Amino acid sequence: METTSLSIALIYFLVANPIGNSPAILSLVKDYDFDRQKKIIFREAMISLILALFFQFFGELFLGMLKISDYALTLTGGIVLFLVALQMLFHKPEVTEKAKVKQEPFIVPIATPLISGPGLMTMIMVSSREENNNIKITLAILIAWVGVTVILVASPYLQKLIGTRGMAALEQVMGMILGLISMGMIVSGATLFIKTLS
Amino acid sequence: MNLFTLTIILFLIMDPVGNISSFLGLLKDLPKQKRRRIILREMLIALAAMLAFNFLGEYIFYVLEISDTTVKLASGAILFLVAVKILFPSVDSLRANLPTGEPFITPLAIPLIAGPSLLATIMLFARLEPSQTLMLSAIFIAWLLAVAVLLTGARLQSVIGANGLMACERLMGMVLIMLAIQRFAEGLQQFVKAC
Repeated sequence: METTSLSIALIYFLVANPIGNSPAILSLVKDYDFDRQKKIIFREAMISLILALFFQFFGELFLGMLKISDYALTLTGGIVLFLVALQMLFHKPEVTEKAKVKQEPFIVPIATPLISGPGLMTMIMVSSREENNNIKITLAILIAWVGVTVILVASPYLQKLIGTRGMAALEQVMGMILGLISMGMIVSGATLFIKTLS
Repeated sequence: MNLFTLTIILFLIMDPVGNISSFLGLLKDLPKQKRRRIILREMLIALAAMLAFNFLGEYIFYVLEISDTTVKLASGAILFLVAVKILFPSVDSLRANLPTGEPFITPLAIPLIAGPSLLATIMLFARLEPSQTLMLSAIFIAWLLAVAVLLTGARLQSVIGANGLMACERLMGMVLIMLAIQRFAEGLQQFVKAC
């Protein structure tokens, strides 16, 4: 795959899955009025951005210390993403819904694991390991976050526009795309792994 | 495997950060002094279980004639399942329906800290790791860290909040799943080479 900042940003955007996540996020903040909703969502998006950047820089260090190899990292990304995609496609009652707390949602569950979920963190670590170019990745994260934040903050409007069913359909599509991406990652991880065998 | 990796794996499976809330919940009616005593006692029991399984692991696989490859694959698979549980929590987990009353051995020592997955992992690692000193020191360090986290649990929770703790736990789950896959891949590697 051609890896420019933009294409990486697109992957981040898909993994962060703002469209699929917005129904869940909306249901978490539905008790607050419209303006407050937007404020909460914006704050959570910023927190998830900080998490993503944190992972970009410290994820690498940690991997080095644990001696995790390339293929394991890529395979992990693929497998975790695949699990997320399965969850999206075969919608069981939301996992995150159960962890719902009475107080205003903070960091969990919106910023993580909904936006900066395990999949995204792995993605960021994978690509920062592959690229060895911090500026490019940071740029990609920032680009992706512009999109993510805009969609999430606009999601209260979005829901009014396309309705609950439209949102459900969109989420399925996102799940399919995510499933494809995850399989791609598993395949490339497996390729790397098989090369180590010979 | 070096000391660092071993310690991290054991610490992550014990999952003290994730267990803080269950510990606090179970011990909330007790006075502070007693709480500390109980935590220490339970942790000592857990440590005893870990050490027992460490020595057991040395021999049981030898007796059963199970190869290193199998052990690696098995530990990878177990770690993976533990990590998935941490990352995608479900309602019917051990933590969701705890018994009430003053805890003794169950549920704090076993299975919350020294659960089946931890004991199995220790057994498997004891088989893989020829150096007994390394294994023992990894167990002790991971245990000490877990004790420290659990004893300061209440303060930790008030500083970073329940949400912060949850975030920490998720990050740990991520690390664990990577270690699991790394281990499994190493097992596969050996398996293919042995063919």
